[in-house]
Formats: sequence, C-alpha cells, structure tokens
Amino acid sequence: MNMATDPQPALPIGMPASSVPAPARWIRQWQIAFAASTIFVVCGHSLIKAGLNAAAAGASGTGLAGRIAHVLFQPLVIEGLLIYFFGTICWMMAVAQKEISFLYPLTSVNYVLVVGTSVVFFHEVISARRALGVVVIVLGMVLMNRKSRIDP
Amino acid sequence: MNAKLMIWTSVVLSALAQVCLKHGLTQVQKRRNSGSGLSGVVVGVISQSFVWLWGLCFVLATALWLLGLQRLDLSYAYPLVSFGYVLVSILSAVFFHERVDANRWAAIAVLSVGVMLIAGS
Repeated sequence: MNMATDPQPALPIGMPASSVPAPARWIRQWQIAFAASTIFVVCGHSLIKAGLNAAAAGASGTGLAGRIAHVLFQPLVIEGLLIYFFGTICWMMAVAQKEISFLYPLTSVNYVLVVGTSVVFFHEVISARRALGVVVIVLGMVLMNRKSRIDP
Repeated sequence: MNAKLMIWTSVVLSALAQVCLKHGLTQVQKRRNSGSGLSGVVVGVISQSFVWLWGLCFVLATALWLLGLQRLDLSYAYPLVSFGYVLVSILSAVFFHERVDANRWAAIAVLSVGVMLIAGS
C-alpha cells in the first residue's frame, strides 16, 4: 500500500505526535528521502569530478587498467561514489512511498543543479546552447512521465 | 578511445544494464515456482547470467564514465545521461513489448533534441 498517495489527513492541532496515525506521521517522509537523494546525487557527481580533476593534475597510470586504477584510488572519487550510492538508497526509499511517474520529472532538478555546481565550483562556461539543452531535457523529462490522456 | 566516445558508450552500457537486469529478474520470477523462500530467490538471482551481464555493463559503464569525465566538463557530460531514458524506452518497447504512448514518443523526441543541443555545445 502506498501511504503517500492516500488522501493526507490534516494534523489536528495540539495532538501528540505519537497518537497521530502512521500515515500522517509519514507525510513528509518521501519529500525528505527525495531531497536527500537529490543532494547526495549532486554532491556525489561534483565530488567525483573534483577527484578526477585532481587525478588529471597528478601522474597518470599507464594502460587502460592503470588509468582506471589511478582514477579509482583518488580519495575524492571514492567519496563521491559512496555519496552517490547513498543517494541511490534514498531514491529507492522515495520510490517505495510515491509513484515513480511522479518522482521522475522531479529528478530533472538534478540536471539543473549539477550544471549549477559545475559553474560555481569548476568554473565551467555554459554556452547559450548548453543552457538551452538543459532546459529542453527538463521539458522532456516532464513529458516522459506525464499520464497519457487516452488510456488503453 | 576519445573522451566523448567513452561517455556515449557509458550511457549506452547503462541502458543495456537496465534491460539485462529487467530480463534477468523476470526470468528469476518465472522459474520461482517451487517456493523455496529467500535463499531460493538469492540463488535464483545470482545464477541468472543476465544479472551478471547487468553487473558487467554497470562496471564498464562506471569505468568509462570516470575516464571520459576526467577530460570533459561535468556540465557537458552529465546532461547526456538523460539519453539513457530514450534508450531504455526504445529497448523496452523492442525487447519487452512495452507500450510506448504518444506522450512518451514526444518525450523521446524532446529529450533527443536536448541531448543533441548539449552534444554540440
């Protein structure tokens, strides 16, 4: 049963939290899980990129396996991958409570935030074309999960 | 292999990974008629070659992503991930005969345009 999709009863004023039925107490849970997943995913990707930039500055490994090892043993890359993994766990927690077709369009925020952090932390230059591309992708994500009006 | 090709290959492998996982898990569910409990499910999952194929695609995709991203802007590479939705939609229609409605075809077109804009930026 999906608690989050049930009509959400308003919290009676002055009622102790423990006496409120479970679905009401869980009202904000998917929002928190989703927000945490977004923060972790964006931070994870940024940390990975920071680690890769650090790796690029150092001596590179030889051969394909050497290059992968060199990159994988960067502390920031390991931290980034771990944080990204936490983000995935939070995403699963959000999906367990709310329909995926509702949550998917919201993840398009990740594209905007990742591009934002690229500008702020890595001083990447965003051309008008790249910015437009991100906007179009966000539109596509929203459209991808919109319920069809003509249901079979 | 140049950095852009690595990122594209990573995106394609990620999409293939999803399809392999879906197929592998569907197979596990089909064969689970003896009702052998949790250990049976675990054995079923790890004895599925498509589940291993998912793992392989996933590892390769991650390695290629890291190598490619090392030489590219994050604001260039990351939006290309969204092309995965296009690939997964098309692959699910082809392999699993999932229905793709008009909205989804429109979304596939819009996402592709966005990805093309990024790719040329």
